Amino acid sequence: MSKTVYRKDRAGKKRVECPSLLLFFIFLFGFALLNLLWPMREQSELENRKLAKPPAFSVKALLSGQWATGFASYMQDQVAGRDGWINAECAVNAMLFQKVEESDILLGADHWLFTKFFTVNDATAAQLEKNLTAVTDFAARYPGRVTFLLAPSASVIYPEELPAYAPMADENALLDAIFARVATVADVIDLRPDFTAAKEQYLYFKTDHHWTPEGAYLGYSRFCSLKGLTPFDRAAHEAVTIPDFYGTHASAARPWNGQSDRITYYPLDNPLTVYQITGEAQYTATKTENLINTDKFATRDKYAAFLDGNNGYSTIEGNGTGSILVVKDSYANSLIPYLTANYAKIGVVDFRGFGYGLDSTIEKEQYDEILVLYNFQTFISDTKVVYINRPTTITN
Amino acid sequence: MVFNSVVFLFGFLPLALAAYYLVPGRAKNVVLLAESLVFYAWADARYLPLILVLILLNYAAGLLLQRGKARRMVLPATLVLTAAALVFFKYTNFLIDIVNHVSDAGLSSLSFLDVLPLGISYYIFKLLSYLADVATGKVEAEHDLIAFSAYVLFFPQLVVGPIIKYRDMRKTFHTLKNRYTLPQIEVGAEMFVFGLAKKVILADSIGALWQDIIASDGIGLANASTPLAWLGIIAYSLQLYFDFSGYSEMSNGLSKMLGFDCAANFNLPYVSASITEFWRRWHISLSGWFRDYIYIPLGGNRCSAVRQIFNMLVVWALTGIWHGANWNFICWGLYYFVLLVIEKNFLSRYLSRGKVWPHLYTLFFVVVGWGIFTANEPGAPLGLLFSKLFLPQGGVSPLYYLRNYGVLLVAACLCSTALPAKLWAAVRRHTVVRLVLFGGTMLLSMSYVVAATSANALYANF
Repeated sequence: MSKTVYRKDRAGKKRVECPSLLLFFIFLFGFALLNLLWPMREQSELENRKLAKPPAFSVKALLSGQWATGFASYMQDQVAGRDGWINAECAVNAMLFQKVEESDILLGADHWLFTKFFTVNDATAAQLEKNLTAVTDFAARYPGRVTFLLAPSASVIYPEELPAYAPMADENALLDAIFARVATVADVIDLRPDFTAAKEQYLYFKTDHHWTPEGAYLGYSRFCSLKGLTPFDRAAHEAVTIPDFYGTHASAARPWNGQSDRITYYPLDNPLTVYQITGEAQYTATKTENLINTDKFATRDKYAAFLDGNNGYSTIEGNGTGSILVVKDSYANSLIPYLTANYAKIGVVDFRGFGYGLDSTIEKEQYDEILVLYNFQTFISDTKVVYINRPTTITN
Repeated sequence: MVFNSVVFLFGFLPLALAAYYLVPGRAKNVVLLAESLVFYAWADARYLPLILVLILLNYAAGLLLQRGKARRMVLPATLVLTAAALVFFKYTNFLIDIVNHVSDAGLSSLSFLDVLPLGISYYIFKLLSYLADVATGKVEAEHDLIAFSAYVLFFPQLVVGPIIKYRDMRKTFHTLKNRYTLPQIEVGAEMFVFGLAKKVILADSIGALWQDIIASDGIGLANASTPLAWLGIIAYSLQLYFDFSGYSEMSNGLSKMLGFDCAANFNLPYVSASITEFWRRWHISLSGWFRDYIYIPLGGNRCSAVRQIFNMLVVWALTGIWHGANWNFICWGLYYFVLLVIEKNFLSRYLSRGKVWPHLYTLFFVVVGWGIFTANEPGAPLGLLFSKLFLPQGGVSPLYYLRNYGVLLVAACLCSTALPAKLWAAVRRHTVVRLVLFGGTMLLSMSYVVAATSANALYANF
């Protein structure tokens, strides 16, 4: 075949006879070869998941089609330059097709990346109702001891940065309803007025779904004024700033002209003890470390430095008096360090790693106060919030 | 193995092409058959015996018919057996449902029929057309079992057609020398790449608009305003066209690269100025099949007006149900029956005189038709969709969706016309421009293939 690829034209110059075909074959066979030689990856940091590996071969797997399916996902996942191809697709969508949405992230003005929240479907509405009931039932058992802080989404504070006409669900109305319900049995902290007044500050990461330590500090300040506490004095501590943070939203949407965020934190000496949960209200300490795991700043998931990520149960020795149990999602991780100024002991429960009700732990560890801290998105959809109201399995 | 996957593009395809090109002419059919068997078994090894038995049956029946032996028995028996396979695998559960509805038989549905044997709607039609053509002397019975099996299992057409008749492919199967030329392969490669681009760039991206509305994590059709419902169903119409025509083009491109020239399955259907014309341009291999093997044998146009209408009713009820075992597909077929009867008996005179309105009229009814077509999907029940479309009401406005999908929608509308083909014909002479466009489309499509880790052909289920 190759002998006819070149032909002399009338001027006697050599020219390629079938240029498209040549290009096609170079790509088809060249890339197939490159793909064979391309090193395999365990994990995709950007997609935050394990990549498929070649499936184990067996006649049974072959006949059932499992092997073929596994092999197809292996080739798809391990394709040469996978991240680059996906980046290119995102860039074309944004630049050529002028799209303002990528992988459920809204591409806002001024490099803002927002969580897409257009609808509360029936499943979410039902989950929210369950979670609200669990929290109010729980709080009713501890009168005067529970504070409920629900952080609003960035899109509620910066609606003008959203893509034009984005049909966002009415988060404000939902927040109003949630706060009204919980306020009957607990103190609530609605940060919308404070955040809106301070919106010039760096309250939320633009590339991540979390608030910044600065936003967390504002929430913490509101908590202190509610409780009559003297807030952590930021001026008395040295701030450290970690640059080049590209959060989860950036991983999903891959903005072609992406700007990074920065994380500012205050190094503290207070030790954090992480426990393994061996039974209801039974814990074995697995490690004691600093509140901030600075190793995580070297990875992509930099926010996980706070409290060393999400652990089922951990405690922190503070410099204040009394004790507080924080029931939370990851928003709390950047707020909790400030609480060391006010409490002697801070317990932290994350139900994603804690499969029991809370009563037995409060009783056994004698927590004085309870802070329930979630961000809106987790609170309306997380299926584990209800554990807060699980009856104890311990019989006396 | 869908064509728009890495495993096909950089695993199967380069190996298949290399093997096919490198073996001598006599061995090409064997290689093609082996490749097609691998392709079939890859997706569905369980049903491989079924297709093999049907191939043997029809092969033997063809030979018997040719020799004029037991003609009266062989033809109907084979046709019925072959068609019965399709009916059994595709419609049993639907029929059980109907029986349960009209009586209290309480039959339980057969769970092993939940997944259709791969490509059955397409290969059964290929087999039926072969046998009918042998019986009517339009094609000689095939003596070469390898060639015949390679035709039925032909991997470019296995999953979603097109339904190409044996008489249109036979010659190439028997061409042992110079089965293909370089320019032919080149055109095939171009068709394949542009088909891929239609599927992964246009169809999948625009389909997301409709999913934004009807999917379980979408805004919900009940919340959409009337203009947004229209935008959604238009987006779905565009998706369906680019998905299916893109896939057909990939198929025909592959066939061409193997030396087979197959007729186009789509010819810009959305520029049609009547429903009649639309069906001459949409899924041409299917409507052609129904015309040749149902409509004309029933008497076609050469009979009384009433009989003609009856013939059309049969064809369109069958066309509807061919698309799936569900009432909405039957309704969709009958919807076209009504429209076509009206056009044939009355409207066509006026349509031929109009300039712009026949196009608008056609698009309107075609788009509304797709609403019926997709009514079996959760999220878009027909009553709700029609009330959204035809009873003006408020709700989520279309502005955001126009903003987000506007460029894609304009691109898709332009690509539904003859413009891209004209442009390509013009630039094809300028090597540099041509290579930049072709190479760019190729790389761009590849990025969409990788990014959309799971996107399957819509028509594979039919």
